[in-house]
Amino acid sequence: MLGVGDKFPAFSVMATVSLEKGKEFETITDASYPGKWKVYFFWPMDFTFVCPTEIAAFGKLAKDFADRDAQLLGGSTDSEFVHLAWRNNHDDLRDLPIPMLADKKQELGKALDVLHKGIGMYLRATYIVDPEGTIRFVSVNDLSVGRNPQEVLRVLDALQTDELCPCNWEKGQATL
Amino acid sequence: MNLEQLLDTVPSYAKDLKLNLSNLLQQPDLSKQQIWGSALTSAITSRNPQLLKAITAAAAEHLKPEAMEAARAAAAIMGMNNIYYRFQHLAENKKYGTIPARLRMNVIRTHGIEPVDFELFCIAASAINGCGVCIDSHEKVVREKGTGEEVILGCVRIASVVHALATVFDAELSA
Repeated sequence: MLGVGDKFPAFSVMATVSLEKGKEFETITDASYPGKWKVYFFWPMDFTFVCPTEIAAFGKLAKDFADRDAQLLGGSTDSEFVHLAWRNNHDDLRDLPIPMLADKKQELGKALDVLHKGIGMYLRATYIVDPEGTIRFVSVNDLSVGRNPQEVLRVLDALQTDELCPCNWEKGQATL
Repeated sequence: MNLEQLLDTVPSYAKDLKLNLSNLLQQPDLSKQQIWGSALTSAITSRNPQLLKAITAAAAEHLKPEAMEAARAAAAIMGMNNIYYRFQHLAENKKYGTIPARLRMNVIRTHGIEPVDFELFCIAASAINGCGVCIDSHEKVVREKGTGEEVILGCVRIASVVHALATVFDAELSA
């Protein structure tokens, strides 16, 4: 399993980004959103129980993540059409402001090595990736346990908070 | 009311301040960015709305937009740091200095103008807010980057006079 300090893998997948006819799908890659932090959160399967509550919870925090120059990206191994159908079908997901990655070929999941060994679906994995593409936080839950998006936001904040002022400067450290 | 007009309303008991400011805004040792950025940071830190409005308008004629933002950012971030770190240094319990601050201050890295000038704006704010160790650490950094005491004092003089004028305008307004 890739961890803190590893580079997030290169990937290119279709994603469901909107319910608007003609604008539903886009290709998203590891190079999308240059200069931003990325917060990837994966779930096993669309149209199941635990997932919608978590995803909607991330959605409610989308502005807080955006304020911190972070792009939220959800994903599973479902196709972009299943994502679209699920969003249309579920009240809590209809207005989701977050792209849903469709890792149909499991290529990203395999590169990250976070697929459930038995069934080949994503475990509930969350990654925070810095603008240079390095993984700075990884958290993986077993299938049945939901995540706390507020905690992910807290970690992002902590990763971005450095005491930069001269009174904390120690001899030998680089200055600004 | 522009800055000149506002300064014309300074009462006679504070005439020294008015004359000091007009001299300081033209001092040859400092760049325009250093002068007007320090003045803007000081005006924000000194909290008189009339003076802030007039100095903002005047500064905009001499500063590029990034520098205006950087001066504002210095006042904003030092408004926080001057309190937090002054507490740490005044407190007898030195353990506070070892506990992470957990305060975001990324603008110190991302302000986008010359680092020395941003530091000078921070010194101006620290002088007004009265954080001794902030003053020491920032002025040390600035001198290590090759800037001399005269330039630093030039900014502190601006801070002193702007602050004084702010108190005068506060008094005159509530009279």
